[in-house]
Formats: sequence, C-alpha cells, structure tokens
Amino acid sequence: MSRKKPMISPVRWTFLVLSLIVLLVLAVVFFKGGRRELIKPSVDVSPVEVSGQEDLPPKNKEIVLFFPAEEDSLLHPEKRRISAGSSVAGEARQAVEELIKGSAQGFLSPLPPETRLREIFITRDGTAYVDFSKEFMEKHPSGSSAELSTIYSVVNTLIYNFKPIRKVFILVEGGEKETLGGHVNLSRAFTQLDSLIAQ
Amino acid sequence: MSPDAGSIPAASTILGSRRTLKAFNERRRYRLIFLPLFFSCLVLILVASRPVIQISTRDYEGYSRVLLTLPSNLSCSLEKSDAFLQVRLRSRTVFELRQEPFESRLVKSFSWVKGSDFFGLIIELRHGGFRYESFRVERRNQLAIDFYETAFEVPPSKEEKAAAEPPRKENIPDVGEARTEGASDRGVSGGTKIRTIVIDPGHGGLEVGAKGKFGSLEKDITLAISLKLQSLIERNLGFQAVLTRDRDIDVSLDNRAGVANNHHAELFVSIHANSSLRRNASGSETYFLSLNATDEEARRLAYLENTTAQLEKPLDNENKDDIMMILWDMAQSAYLKQSQRLAEIIQEELNTLLGTADRGIKQAPFKVLTAVACPAVLVEVAFISNPDEEKKLTTEAFQEMIAQAIFQGIARYVKLIS
Repeated sequence: MSRKKPMISPVRWTFLVLSLIVLLVLAVVFFKGGRRELIKPSVDVSPVEVSGQEDLPPKNKEIVLFFPAEEDSLLHPEKRRISAGSSVAGEARQAVEELIKGSAQGFLSPLPPETRLREIFITRDGTAYVDFSKEFMEKHPSGSSAELSTIYSVVNTLIYNFKPIRKVFILVEGGEKETLGGHVNLSRAFTQLDSLIAQ
Repeated sequence: MSPDAGSIPAASTILGSRRTLKAFNERRRYRLIFLPLFFSCLVLILVASRPVIQISTRDYEGYSRVLLTLPSNLSCSLEKSDAFLQVRLRSRTVFELRQEPFESRLVKSFSWVKGSDFFGLIIELRHGGFRYESFRVERRNQLAIDFYETAFEVPPSKEEKAAAEPPRKENIPDVGEARTEGASDRGVSGGTKIRTIVIDPGHGGLEVGAKGKFGSLEKDITLAISLKLQSLIERNLGFQAVLTRDRDIDVSLDNRAGVANNHHAELFVSIHANSSLRRNASGSETYFLSLNATDEEARRLAYLENTTAQLEKPLDNENKDDIMMILWDMAQSAYLKQSQRLAEIIQEELNTLLGTADRGIKQAPFKVLTAVACPAVLVEVAFISNPDEEKKLTTEAFQEMIAQAIFQGIARYVKLIS
C-alpha cells in the first residue's frame, strides 16, 4: 500500500463505482419494473372468510361441477361433495381440483389431467383469479369448441357454486396469457355462459 | 476489499494502532465521497420518476387521433406551425413521454421542449397540410387531438405504405386508393359501399392451431380456403379482398385486427377449422364476439348499442367517436348487431351448400374479433378433430365448396346493406 498519495485506494474506487452501478440498476428496476404490477394475492378479501375452524368438525358441502359430454357440446352437471368451512377460495380450489380429476359419471375431462391448480384467489370486486400450471395450455388440444368447453367448465362451475365469485380470470404459470390455444381470449375476465349449460 | 473496510472496530483498537487509525480516516473520506454520490443517485431516481404523459395514436377513417393521458387536469394551449403542433402545458415539470407503438398516415413522431413556465409536447406530422380539432375527456385527464388532411400535394411516402402492410406487396396501390376514398367519402355522404373485405386464415407459422388424427393442421386448411375465397370475391364481387396472411407465417392476433382496421375494411371474416374434446363432434358453425360483460357493463354497452346505428344506417361520426373513446380495445362491441346478421347469413349458406350438420350461430370471446372495427365473424367450417370431416377438409373440392358458401354469404350481406 502506498503512503499518503492516493486519497482512496483503487479497491475503494472499484467498490464505490460498483455500489453506484448497483444503486442505479436498482433505481431503474424499481421504476421501470414497478409499473406492470401483478395482481397480488394479498387483496384476497373474501367476505365469508372464517378463521380457526380447527375445532369444528369438517362438514361436507354439495357442489355442482360442469363437464362436457360426448353426446352434445353442452356442459352437464355432476354433483360432488367437498369439505366445507374453509374460505371461499379454499372451497373454490377444491371445486377446480375436482374438475381436474375428471367425471365420475363418464363425462369428458375438460382439463388436461396433468394440469395443476397453482393458486386461486378472489378479489374484492368478485373476480376469481385461477392460476393453472403450464400443462393447462401445453396439453390442451386447441380448437374453438375444445377451448370453450375447457374454459366454461371452470367458469360456470365457480360462478354457479360460489356467490362471491362473479367473474373468473384465468392465469397460466402466474401470468396473463393472450389465448388458450389461439382462439378464446384469456386477457379478460369471463362471466357465466348459461347457453352452454345442458337443459 | 481491504480487510479493515468490512467491520467497524471498537474505538480502543482504533487508537491502538496507527494503521487502523489511518484506515479510520480513509473511511471518513470514503463517507464524504459516498454521501454526495448517494444524493446524486437520489436526484437521478427523482428524475427517473417524473410524471408521465401517455400517448396513443390511431388512424380512423379520414383522420388520425392522438390521445394524451395527462397526470392531472392541466390547462393547455395548442399552436400549429408548419408540420408541427405544439401542445403547451402550464407546468414547470418535465414530463416523461410514454408512447404506444403506432402506425399512422399523418402523425410522424413526438418530442418535447421545456420553457420557463411551460412544457411543450411537440407532435410532428408528415406534412404541413393538416388541420386539427381537439377536445378533452374530463374524467380521465385526457386530451384528444384529431388531425385531418387538408392538402393533397404531398402523397404518403413509400415507406409508410410498405409499413402498413408489409407481407402483401400487390395490395399496396389499393391501400392508397382506399384511404383517399375514405377521406373523400366522409365529407360527402358516408355511403355503405363495401370496398375492402379482410379474410383471416386462422393460425399460421409455429402456431399450427388444432391437429387432425391424420396429421392435417388447421393452419393449412384455413389458408387453402381463404385463398379460394379471396379469388372468388375479387372475381365476382369487384371488391378488394385482403388476406391477413397469404402464406405459412405467424401473424399476431392483434395484427390481424390491425390489417382490417388499417384498410378500413367493411367486413372481417376469420376462417377456422374446429376441434372438440368429443371425438364425433361434427358440423359447421359461425361465431360473433361475446363480450363477457357483467350486468353493469352490459348496461353501459346497451347505451352504446342504442347510439350505434342499425344495419341500414352507418355510424355517424359523432357516435363513432364516442365508441372509440370508451372502447379503445373493444372496437368490435360497436358492431355486434351487424356481426350477428353477417354470421346468420353465412351460416345459412353453409347449411345449404355443405350438407354438414348445422351448429348454428354462436357467441364466444374470441381474441381475434375483439379489436376489429367493422362487422366481423369467425367461421368454423368443420371439425378437423373428426376423422371423416378431416378427410373432407383436405380435399380441394370440399374447400372450394366452403369458399363458395362463405362467398355467397358475404355477397348476400353486401347486397343487403347497399
């Protein structure tokens, strides 16, 4: 190390410059990256939220799932029991997972069986965000009718069974997708489509 | 890093050795330099977070609209000089301009100047032959400026024409024609003559669409039918028929709608082959857009539908403006009634000509239809997922029949509105 000459050693200089760069990068990331804010699950305020139901005996609740059938292009109801008492989001999660498992009455499977439900949350305005794993898109056969059956089996099931849910927004791997397989628009929330329900 | 930079030694050890004392002094110097650096970073951050003006630019029939979204309800004045229009905002701050990518026949670029007591947003146009009208959209702090071409001496540049529709060179002269016609039409009567029909062969490129059991791809079948439909229209209807793609390439869904809107298309027909989860689903169906609206949205849209003219009467420009403002990205919602009529007519022709099962007309939220600013339908000609129909779909004769049916539907609709 030299005596008094350099005010700051070269090591310090590089340290300073590096920290400056890091700060700048942080600033850029903060201001440019912050605009495209993802919907946070923290807004999940479902009105029927009940906490600490551990002491209550697990109750069953009957819901209606909608499945596509071989004989026509409509969605057919199938009753299913899920455990009640958790939050709306918790019940909705069970409903979608039952849809993924498929029908017990021989209806068609609306979702690829490999699909995982990553997350489901309900915002204050009644929109349920349903976040599927990538298999939801990748294993889907594509095509207008197929896409409509898939989407509306989820949408109609959720809106039909859960009062607080008025719209359903479908995400894949945590993000918004343009379409499912080139046809049905995923960049807007879905409302119930009664014309697809049998009877 | 030097060993003494990391941890803070206790005071006694600092006093204990000359070496550590020197290090301590160095650290102070380092702080002296670091603090200003830190504050300059803060200043940079503040500059980076200056208020934003959102700019979106769109072309409509006869005019181009620039929509400025201001951070607050600032007062402003407009000043024209040559090919520039300056929007002066009474504000000392420097705004950040955030532009949506655009393609306009009149608007060229945006820049800004800073005066002592104003911020000037400068809109550069392609030439000085224009007049403008501006109005405010109060609730949203928006300022809309419409530019109209007044002089004809400067024709749109070649690059501009090419940029409007790169994949189809043979259409370029027609593009220009459609534009000038559109501009003159607006002044005279705004008649319902059909000039351009846009045909959209579904999918393409890496995006293959649905697949059949025998390996045929939706994208190939849609293209084959669309090419046949194009020549039928151009030979027999005397209208320009523009394809959103004429070969096996990727075209984004937004750009497909963009082709229709850039050409001021009168009709948009998207051709698809269907696929179902059911093995034996079969038949033809025609879709128009469903908006997926909740009750209150539906009420708002009902207002629009009431202000939208019926089939016989085209949209007058005032109403069109309203709709454009409210539904920037949902242009199709203003044309649902016409689209439904078009779907009905095409479906009737498919039923009579094809002998496939009639699946009727349906509504669905298809992405490709949302931004199309004219009557638009999506035809699912038959099921590629059904082995029998897949075989038929690959034959020249069946494709020809489909094209003929859709053509007759279009021809009937055209006759109906003219």
